[in-house]
Amino acid sequence: MIELKNVTKQYPGQPHPAVDSLTLTVPEGEICVLVGPSGCGKSTTLRMINRMIEPSAGSITINGQSVMNNDPDHLRMGIGYVIQQIGLLPHRTIAENIAIVPRLYKWPKEKIVRRVDELLVMMGLDPEKTRSKYPSQLSGGQMQRVGVARAMAVDPPIMLMDEPFGAVDPIARTHLQDEFLRLQKEIRKTIVFVTHDINEAIKMGDKIAIFGEGKLVQFGTPEEVLTNPANEFVENFIGYDRIVKKLFLYQVQEAYRPAVCRLRPEEIGNALSKMLAEKAEVAFVLNEADKPCGYLTREELEQEETARDADGLQKLAARRSKAFVQTTTPLPDALSVMLEYDAEYVGVLKNGLLEGVMSFKDIRRHVYRREGE
Amino acid sequence: MKMSWERFQIALFEKAPEAVLTHLLIVVITVALAILISVPLGVLLTRPRYRKFGVVALNILNILNAIPGMAVIALALPILGLGIKPAVVALLFQSLLPIVRNTIAGLLEVSADVKEAAAGMGMNQRQILLEVEMPLAMPIILSGIRTSTVYVVSVGTLAALIGAGGLGNMIIGGLALFMPEYLIVGAGLGAIMSIFFDRALSYLEYKITPPGVRAN
Amino acid sequence: MDINLVDFFQRNTRTIMEYTENHFTLVLSAVVISLLIWVPIGLLLTKSDKWAARIMALANTIFCIPSLSLFAIMVTIPALGLGRKSALLALVLYAMMPLIRNVYDGVKNVDRNVIEAAKGMGMSSGRIMREIQLPLGLPVIFAGFRITVVMTTGIAAIATYIGERNLGRFIQEGLVRSNTSMIIMGALIISVIAIALDTILGGIEKLVIPKGLRARR
Ligand SMILES: Nc1ncnc2c1ncn2[C@@H]1O[C@H](COP(=O)(O)OP(=O)(O)OP(=O)(O)O)[C@@H](O)[C@H]1O
Ligand SMILES: [Mg+2]
Repeated sequence: MIELKNVTKQYPGQPHPAVDSLTLTVPEGEICVLVGPSGCGKSTTLRMINRMIEPSAGSITINGQSVMNNDPDHLRMGIGYVIQQIGLLPHRTIAENIAIVPRLYKWPKEKIVRRVDELLVMMGLDPEKTRSKYPSQLSGGQMQRVGVARAMAVDPPIMLMDEPFGAVDPIARTHLQDEFLRLQKEIRKTIVFVTHDINEAIKMGDKIAIFGEGKLVQFGTPEEVLTNPANEFVENFIGYDRIVKKLFLYQVQEAYRPAVCRLRPEEIGNALSKMLAEKAEVAFVLNEADKPCGYLTREELEQEETARDADGLQKLAARRSKAFVQTTTPLPDALSVMLEYDAEYVGVLKNGLLEGVMSFKDIRRHVYRREGE
Repeated sequence: MKMSWERFQIALFEKAPEAVLTHLLIVVITVALAILISVPLGVLLTRPRYRKFGVVALNILNILNAIPGMAVIALALPILGLGIKPAVVALLFQSLLPIVRNTIAGLLEVSADVKEAAAGMGMNQRQILLEVEMPLAMPIILSGIRTSTVYVVSVGTLAALIGAGGLGNMIIGGLALFMPEYLIVGAGLGAIMSIFFDRALSYLEYKITPPGVRAN
Repeated sequence: MDINLVDFFQRNTRTIMEYTENHFTLVLSAVVISLLIWVPIGLLLTKSDKWAARIMALANTIFCIPSLSLFAIMVTIPALGLGRKSALLALVLYAMMPLIRNVYDGVKNVDRNVIEAAKGMGMSSGRIMREIQLPLGLPVIFAGFRITVVMTTGIAAIATYIGERNLGRFIQEGLVRSNTSMIIMGALIISVIAIALDTILGGIEKLVIPKGLRARR
């Protein structure tokens, strides 16, 4: 746990403090994202935690110990630190770069070699190919991975990451973010993560700290921040598409309805009567193996002028054979499936079997129920 | 060595003025010629058509520059004879490199974007060179001229060895005849002249650097 | 004029050897002393911008002084007088500017982000200097060393006027005696040595570039 209490940093010769009486707690095992416009003091805050800069006032403790009680070099060896510009040593190979902190800890050689390979694999790099290359021989994204691997070398419980994915293109960045979140589920480190990109903050943060001109403006979970922006500054910073951003926080499993009307192959002829009997708006057509292969809605069956035969209904249902999502699909993706197949409903699958149904209305209801909280 | 105030005065007021003037003459002529040769050469070597000769030219000048000044001056005697002219020619050889090198560096440093923008506004090659490239490269070129000037003042003291006169005369004479007064006046004035040129040209360099570029 | 270099060389082999030896003992001691003094000072100056500016201005000024003047000024200092002490001191003072400047620039121009990352991982400042700044600054520092060696070799010849019996002496005596072979021989020997040193050290300069900086994709 990292605790900052009334921390102020005044750079000499500057009219205002870069960080002004900041109080913030980062719980164990969580990612806390510091976000805000350029120059608002995010990096300054981060760099005070590992004493790259000394605060002018206030106290910073890690697990109850003041950082000031520790020798700065020793303190830093125990905290992973990733900077935006990566800062790999250009005259050292990738393996040597990753081995810097293990060497400071005087690990035995074999242990270092093993750890380096392990980290390279963890970061999705091929050890055989990467190990003995120099930084100038890697792409930006690869260098960024090495930078993260290097910070994790001795498995520090705390990581400070200053715009760690800033130097790569948007596609590589999304990829790195996803991989990192997957990894964090296993390693559960306490992470302070700086970015000026609100979308990255929403995606990466268990908690978000929004900064404005050296002051903490709002602190909370992404949902809290998106639902109840503390003031106009936060609202503007989040942007006009606040609700759309909020969608990203939710998965299908939070919004779908489990009750569902199923049509076995032989029942397809009396689809409408079965739906009326079950008071269902929509019925899913299953094949012989119980796999869903499309759906019919009550509305379209009622509007049909001439009743179709079983074959016709089968074809109609099959038009929506791809309108299915998983329980873990994020809501925006589910929405885009709906738009793509021009479908009012999507089927929800779990382990390949039909689990429930979700309509556009369900999404709206879910988001607005949260909004009202 | 015992110093005499009388001899000091003779050195300073009777010998020094002529020595200083001769020295200045050598410096001004050499540097002027060096500029006239080096700047156009540097410009030429940055034009696309002649760029391939740049490396060769710089290599030759680099080797020339490794030759000790005393050797260059000494070699002028058997080839060119005694006097100011051979001294100027000898000094000229080594005063070229800093100016050529800096002219090339200065011109290459002008960003392609700026030149592109100038061409886009309808400037022709000549106008781009004179109105965009040269002014932007000028501080760097001037810094090369400063290096050359200081070099010429310094090695110029050796020109006395081949009968060109100047401050070197007083120093070598003072050493040969054990007259510390001559030596101090000659050496002191040489140092002052060289430092003066260095400061004056640095100041000029600072002045002509556009304030926008000056910041870093 | 009667120029016969081969003849001159054969008849004066012993003198040539003596002068060359004297020349090199002077150059060698001057360069060693200069390295011992100016490299540590250059490194020290990277810690203080204020002092760096002051010392660099001083070095610059000394470097401006004509070599013949500086030698002459040394001679008038009673404790030094004619001879090797004056020559050494003047040469060491000249070396101040190329050595300090290049050591300072070499160390200072290492990418700030690399230093930030290293410091952030808990490397001590001594370790950062040894393992990062020195290796990365080495090519620039070595360039300063090369300039110093070649320059010292050339300027040392002038010390013949303050009593050094070295390769400058052929030029000095040749001029006095109007002996053209002697002048040319003297000038050629120093020139060849200077160019050779410059070329060899230039070759080494390329080799000291750390591998990672040479490697390209
Ligand atoms: N070493 C320094 N000396 C003086 N002022 C500084 C220094 N470092 C930062 N500042 C100032 O402190 C303020 C906060 O800087 P900081 O680097 O913490 O911003 P940031 O939030 O990380 O911005 P960015 O998103 O651009 O990285 C800025 O106004 C900056 O100009
Ligand atoms: Mg920052």
